Amino acid sequence: MAAAAVPPEYGPDAGGRLKGVTIVKPIIYGNVARHFGKKREEDGHTHQWTVYVKPFQNEDMSTYVKKVHFKLHDSYANPNRVHNKPPYEVTETGWGEFEIVIKIYFHDPNERPVTLYHVLKLFHQAADMALTKKTLVSEFYEEVVFQDPTQYMQHLLNSAPPLTMGPYKHETDFDEKKVKSLQNILTAKTKIKKDIADVKEKLKIAKETIAKFKEEINKAQSGSLSESPSLA
Amino acid sequence: MGDVQDILGLERPPTPELTKESILGSSDKLKRKQMQMSTPKVSRRPEGMPREVFALLYHDNKGVPPVFPTDTGSGYKQMKAKLGMRKVRPWKWMPFSNPARTDGAVFHHWRRVADEGKDYPFAQFNKKVPVPSYTDEEYNQHLQVVGWTKDETNHLIDLAKRFDLRFIVMRDRWDSSKFAERSVEDLKERYYTLQTTLGKVKGTTPSDAKPYVFDADHERRRKGQLKRLYERTQKQIEEEQTLATEYRRIEARKKERDKKTQDLQKLITAADNQSETRRIEKKLPKKKLQQQLTRPRVDTVTVESTGIKFPDMKGSGVSVRSQRMKMPTSVGQKKIKGVEQLLQELAVELNPMPTEEICTHFNELRSDMVLLHELKTAYTTCEFELQTLRHQYEALCPGKTLDIPIPNETQVGSSTENDGGKQKINLAEIIDVVGSPGTPNSTHIN
Repeated sequence: MAAAAVPPEYGPDAGGRLKGVTIVKPIIYGNVARHFGKKREEDGHTHQWTVYVKPFQNEDMSTYVKKVHFKLHDSYANPNRVHNKPPYEVTETGWGEFEIVIKIYFHDPNERPVTLYHVLKLFHQAADMALTKKTLVSEFYEEVVFQDPTQYMQHLLNSAPPLTMGPYKHETDFDEKKVKSLQNILTAKTKIKKDIADVKEKLKIAKETIAKFKEEINKAQSGSLSESPSLA
Repeated sequence: MGDVQDILGLERPPTPELTKESILGSSDKLKRKQMQMSTPKVSRRPEGMPREVFALLYHDNKGVPPVFPTDTGSGYKQMKAKLGMRKVRPWKWMPFSNPARTDGAVFHHWRRVADEGKDYPFAQFNKKVPVPSYTDEEYNQHLQVVGWTKDETNHLIDLAKRFDLRFIVMRDRWDSSKFAERSVEDLKERYYTLQTTLGKVKGTTPSDAKPYVFDADHERRRKGQLKRLYERTQKQIEEEQTLATEYRRIEARKKERDKKTQDLQKLITAADNQSETRRIEKKLPKKKLQQQLTRPRVDTVTVESTGIKFPDMKGSGVSVRSQRMKMPTSVGQKKIKGVEQLLQELAVELNPMPTEEICTHFNELRSDMVLLHELKTAYTTCEFELQTLRHQYEALCPGKTLDIPIPNETQVGSSTENDGGKQKINLAEIIDVVGSPGTPNSTHIN
């Protein structure tokens, strides 16, 4: 076990948390699905799918991950699937989409497990019906943030060996997506900022005008008051 | 026992139907008979009788409630008076004279022999108010006042002595056949000035004692006011009340308006602050930025007083980054919907990749969106107020109107023509709606 390889001073009870230290572990989770091409006679299943959790970088997560728990729909024979080592994935067949609860447990007993929710995707969107034959991929990028880890956990997090010697790639190009998303957000932000400034300017004018109007009204009021006796 | 059973709701063996007569006994005879032959039976509570009522009639010690007082004498009551063991002091019928009397009449009463010759004990209650007196010389030198003759003053002092400064009575007994009518205030004013002056002249009042000053004018005004208040007619009272409610309404409206203005000011300040912090951030040297990167970035988000306050996630432990982009529960459903719609319009994903950078910017973006929305709402309110004010003005000065400056396209800027245009259309609508009904000057718009 990984824990056994750790020097004794890094044991689970060695000291408190390291304040100010943040370690981020990007991960990918999601599912792939493939249509049989027809409805299976025995059970009416139409797809084979695999739901998975894997590291974004090429590393062996089992160094710090104790187990991954997939909770499938209750209609499956054994809805709780637990994996102690990679690959953390469940392959099943079915006919419907549902939410899978993925819980990641860590070796350090001080750290609570994190929970991810993934809606299993089997069907392509209407727009890309043409690609029906292709394997469907629905995966997401996520970052697990370890705030003030214990010394033990820090050691585990920093000593994960690479998972494979070969190249490590994902179905989705997350790097490109990241840049695009950020670009979009920044553009939107600039625009909203400008709008805010504009509305503020308008508000200022409106407020000044209100003040001016009030003054006018006051003038008019005092004027009419002084006039009225002469009329009467 | 019965109580416990009752509380626990235990089943009791069914009791035979008992009537009032059978419990209390229709006659003494029957009662006694029953008591004798069926004591255990009686202590059972009949069906339907409240426990408390039953407890008044029968106790656990199974008997009728005690009739005779059972006071043993050791309680608070003293059965026998403890008479003094001293020698009896003799009493005597003796004459006495009351020093309060001026006629020196002698009466008789019973008194202890030991007290013989002592003063009449009730004489001490004959208190006399010291009323100043003066000689002719003193009066001529110090006390002459326009409007008061010496005789009149003498009469006043005499009354004061007779009625112990009860000015109401003095006023009543005022000899109006000899002197002019005087009000209570007149009498008091004259009396107290006289007293103060005499005190000063004679040096009877200690120098540190504050002389009593009677403010007759104030008193007259007070009484006049009271009289007016008392003599109001029903109609006047009603009018006063309507005025008071009207006043309260106006005050409330004013407060509301002030609050709105304040909110607006806050909003503007928030917007200012926001742009400032942004600027500062950009200016930060690289080193500091790096430091900020390692530490969780919270400061920028929490600074904003308006917009969205995202949780800072400072606590130690593991968390998922996307958690930081979750809308706080404090944000209303309507706001969330609005933000989502705006995001879609700007082609930004609702759940972007949760890297640290994207997280921060995404949160700031949404916070700004909320701020923008609030500013727009505030602006609409201002527009309405402008319209109201203009109508007010037009009502005041018929034939005249005020111009509402509409920010034109160039001010709005090219990048926001979409929004600015929308705003303008809204404005035009508002103007139409508000301006059309029945106001003859609606043609003056623009």
